[in-house]
Amino acid sequence: MKNLLVTMGIDPDRLHFSWISSAESTKFVKVVNEITAKVKAIGPNQRFVKKEAKVA
Amino acid sequence: MSDWEPKIVSFLCNWCSYGAADLAGVSRMEYPPNVRVVRIPCTGRMSPKFALAALREGADAVWVSG
Amino acid sequence: MSTYTDKIREIAQRLLKECRVEMVIGFRQGSMPMMNEPCFVRKPEEVDRLVWDSNCGINLANYLTNRKEKIGIVAKGCDSRNIVTHILENKVKREQLVIIGVPCQGMIDKRKIAASIQGEILAVSETGGQIKVKSAGGEKSFNKNEVLQQNCSVCVHRNPVIHDEMVAAPVAEQTDVDQYADVNAIEAMSTEERWEFFEKLLAPCIRCYACRNACPLCYCPTCFVDESKPQWVGKSQDPMDVRTFHFLRAFHCAGRCTDCGACERACPVGINMRLLTKKLNKDCLELYGWQAGLNLDSRPALDVYKANDPEDFIH
Repeated sequence: MKNLLVTMGIDPDRLHFSWISSAESTKFVKVVNEITAKVKAIGPNQRFVKKEAKVA
Repeated sequence: MSDWEPKIVSFLCNWCSYGAADLAGVSRMEYPPNVRVVRIPCTGRMSPKFALAALREGADAVWVSG
Repeated sequence: MSTYTDKIREIAQRLLKECRVEMVIGFRQGSMPMMNEPCFVRKPEEVDRLVWDSNCGINLANYLTNRKEKIGIVAKGCDSRNIVTHILENKVKREQLVIIGVPCQGMIDKRKIAASIQGEILAVSETGGQIKVKSAGGEKSFNKNEVLQQNCSVCVHRNPVIHDEMVAAPVAEQTDVDQYADVNAIEAMSTEERWEFFEKLLAPCIRCYACRNACPLCYCPTCFVDESKPQWVGKSQDPMDVRTFHFLRAFHCAGRCTDCGACERACPVGINMRLLTKKLNKDCLELYGWQAGLNLDSRPALDVYKANDPEDFIH
């Protein structure tokens, strides 16, 4: 999935996968922080966004 | 865009990461408010459609966690 | 090639006479040159409709889905791999089938020919490796290797992987081809370039779904494009809708596609959507060592979990 999205020109930092057990709240917080930092770094998503149809 | 905050759509497994998120909340840990959580019954419920739908509707990133 | 036709007719006649099958699926001459069409033969006296030449690019495995009767089917290398996939996915039973294997030397890309001649194509004949095309603007001869479909020119599975009958001795497989040259070229691009590349590639798409209908893998009772609650993908020609459609279509074929080229062949505007499925084929090969439809004993890559599956994409 990720590979094909990246092939189509999506930034690899826009799709994340992780594996966290229900007891690992510290890891959860760590991963949330990492992902947020990464997405902040690449800025808002412009791609694959369906724009509202323009009404003349 | 200095006040821009990313929207991260997170698909969390009920039994793993959703539990971890709950525990993080109960333990009063702080984490960024950018994640929007969608609880799924299992990561096996995840479909590429969901990720695309999230991006289509304007999400800045998608996070799948089991 | 005509010996192939004779042999196919002979086998089909025998199977039907002995009542080993109720129907034979093969090709017949189309109403236009270079457009052979699928043909369902049910009576031994009708086998003369069957033909074989280099215009049989349609994937006949497409017509096996959920069939209940006994069927004889003419199969090239790629068709046979799709038949294997069908059997693995319980869309047809092996016992139902008598597979008439045809060693294939590639199919002609009619667009390549149409691009280099004047006027309408009136007749096409084939001797040895030469294709003679008669058109409104005169006659022209082509070397078959130069007008092959792109997927055929890099094909490494020309002989059927399963068969009950063989029409001829197996042909030599190609060994010196670079299967994934085009995928590698895209991988070498930057994120921006790739986005632009696919923007251009998919721009002419008219969302006719011919690629989906031609594909033997696309048999979902309700296709995701027709679902409306929730609606995953808009029905318009909005570039994002087109892209979502092609993305999901390709992804549904992950680990199942045999690169038979039926989708590209069916496309009325000539989009090479195989680039997407090929990328996934390449990933399957590199990550899981998997190529679709090579034998009946192993489960598809995305169907099994192995402890050593690559998982470096997971945090």
